[in-house]
Amino acid sequence: MRVGRIITAVSIVLLAGLMLLGCGGEDKKSAETSKQETGPIRVGGLIDLSGPTSSVGVPYSQGLVDGVKYVNQSGGINGREVSFDLQDTAYNVQQGLSLYKKMVNTDKVVCIQGYGSAVTEALIRNVAKDKVPNFSASYSAHLTDPKKAPYNFFIAADYSTQLRAALKYFHSNWKEERAPKVAFIYPDHPYGLAPIKGGKAYAKELGYEIVGEANVSLKAIDATTELLPLKDAAPDFCWIGGTTPSTSVILKSAKNIGLNTVFYTNIWGTDENLVKLAGDDANGSYSNQAAAVYGADVPGMKAIEKITDGKPQMTHYMRGFVSVLVMAEGMKRALANGPITGETIKTSLETLRDFDPMGLAPLISYFPDDHRPNMAVFIYTIKDGKLTFVKEEILDRRADWLGH
Amino acid sequence: MQGKCGLFFTSYRGEAQIFQSGFQKLMVGLFVLVLLAAPAVLNVHLTSIMNLIFISVIGAVSLNLLTGICGQISLGHGAFIGVGAYAAGQCTLHGVPFPLAILTAGLITAMVGMVFGVPSLRLKGIYLAIATLAAQLVLEYVFLHGGALTGGSNGLLLDPPQILGFSFDTEARMFYLLLFFAVASLLMVSNLMRTKYGRAFVSIRDFYLSAEIVGVNLFRYKLAAFGLSSFLAGVAGGLWAHYTGYISAEQFNIGLSISYLAMIIIGGLGSVIGSVFGAVFIVILPEVLNAVANGVGNYFPDIAQHIVALREGVFGLVLILFLIFEPEGLAHRWRLIKAYWKLYPFAH
Repeated sequence: MRVGRIITAVSIVLLAGLMLLGCGGEDKKSAETSKQETGPIRVGGLIDLSGPTSSVGVPYSQGLVDGVKYVNQSGGINGREVSFDLQDTAYNVQQGLSLYKKMVNTDKVVCIQGYGSAVTEALIRNVAKDKVPNFSASYSAHLTDPKKAPYNFFIAADYSTQLRAALKYFHSNWKEERAPKVAFIYPDHPYGLAPIKGGKAYAKELGYEIVGEANVSLKAIDATTELLPLKDAAPDFCWIGGTTPSTSVILKSAKNIGLNTVFYTNIWGTDENLVKLAGDDANGSYSNQAAAVYGADVPGMKAIEKITDGKPQMTHYMRGFVSVLVMAEGMKRALANGPITGETIKTSLETLRDFDPMGLAPLISYFPDDHRPNMAVFIYTIKDGKLTFVKEEILDRRADWLGH
Repeated sequence: MQGKCGLFFTSYRGEAQIFQSGFQKLMVGLFVLVLLAAPAVLNVHLTSIMNLIFISVIGAVSLNLLTGICGQISLGHGAFIGVGAYAAGQCTLHGVPFPLAILTAGLITAMVGMVFGVPSLRLKGIYLAIATLAAQLVLEYVFLHGGALTGGSNGLLLDPPQILGFSFDTEARMFYLLLFFAVASLLMVSNLMRTKYGRAFVSIRDFYLSAEIVGVNLFRYKLAAFGLSSFLAGVAGGLWAHYTGYISAEQFNIGLSISYLAMIIIGGLGSVIGSVFGAVFIVILPEVLNAVANGVGNYFPDIAQHIVALREGVFGLVLILFLIFEPEGLAHRWRLIKAYWKLYPFAH
């Protein structure tokens, strides 16, 4: 048995030693950003095509695909085609990580079109290390701080800015003497919690009276119990930070209990489906949007109508389209100055100043120390079952708001 | 070849070996050598899948210790892994060296696990499952509202592990680190099975009344099971946290607990090698589905999207098929295959 013990001891030492030294001589296998001189420019897509958010993921991905089609039809990036590999992350972080690693290491993509907060935030470190810009559809404020997330971009104002824009718009239309009363309804979920702190601080700054808060889950089918305390508080203005299904539940429950207030939803809370889900109860509610609605009179709409054969698309499609346009602009500028790598795309994006995505979204500028695309939010309302444009609310690019 | 007919031992010590025959020792040794050489051969993507498998193995073997060996059903495993992740993350963020951080994470998770294991004194079976589900929900809430401790809704951003200045920031380096921890945890649980604690756990699972009559202090050993299982879950969580570099409350939800339960059911309750099989199966399943979807997508473009959407359905279907056709899991099937070849041509 002594021999056995010696063998065991030696193998443990060997294993531990290999663990510590084993890779010392190996080259670092972190992805080399591809320096292709010719050939298609590879972009990876990590979108939830299945799972609870697939109802917005699928139209968003369609916008990405058609955006790439449009860019290629218009001559590509100085003649080079963009090749887009769309994969399903299925609302699963592990899946997203694994697909990302395959895209960056095996397929050598130079840019990623991402989607939800879970996967985007799990990838913050990885995209920074691999130097691959990630355009997410998650508009969390802390992704705008290049100190924490240097390679993250997105094309809509972040959630906190949207909430502040909503507060400012409503306050500027407030005619009465007393302070307006505001209440916040949001899910107990990182997506819902993120903008609340900044929103409350700004509400106090503007002179609001915060009268209540309620937690309504994203999966709720009835919100009556959560809303009853708010009815007594009688807010003038109520922020809903959910998604379309939960927003429709809140609007319907509010009508049932007689809570009469102006509802304000954030960008994922209102789209064309809200009218179908909530019916009449949706009329009179306001929402933030970051892209024009299908059929709006802007230059980019002609191109979209041509590609989609006049079939109406959701606002999520529009945002996907804009995301590709902005990425393509970054690529064009990078190619003008040398080879296209993830790093050159990032530095080129940071030179964008008031870039106009064919009128489909507010003007976009990125700075090396500030990745907030703009401080502009489209305010829409639902009138007679249709999303109707009201105003473009623009806030100051305050430094103390960066990152939260 | 041994030259002996069957396996026999002349001492208790011999009988208590984890690897009982020379052939088995040789095979395990060769397997480990192949694994050590793997990163040189596999590309980065496959190495990253292996890394995920190693972390899942640690989590699966810890759940198997609690549920398969000791018979205490636990639906809170995902949350315990989360506790380990946050504990290890906070330790490294405050400058604690990585090995100590993992150990601390394990100990903290063990304590939390034992706290939530207290109901096991009075509850059994499905009632205990509900109590552990409560643990899952409570801990998820704590992760989300932990303020500075857990980063709240923003989560925690972590650096790759560093030991004595050597940084494990590539997939290949993490491969060796995770291989070490996986092998260590598998050996730990295998060893546990042949000690007094292991025998006590098995007796509690088989019939707690008889165990109590024989003199096994039920509460003490059940708490120990929760503690040991949570320790390993904490280690798995700490490794996961430093591997992905970002942890948030969403990653440790009930879906993770269910996925680990699926691993041990598919792999085989109560067996260490079953945990490995189960972990490999569950981690590789989405990759295989993606490969199939992409392959089929070349011929039928529209079907690819539908196949991918069927993923959750496939997961449930696989679980049900295993429960019907292979209720004792892949470990049982592996034993049958080994027996077939050992007894060839006399297998029946």
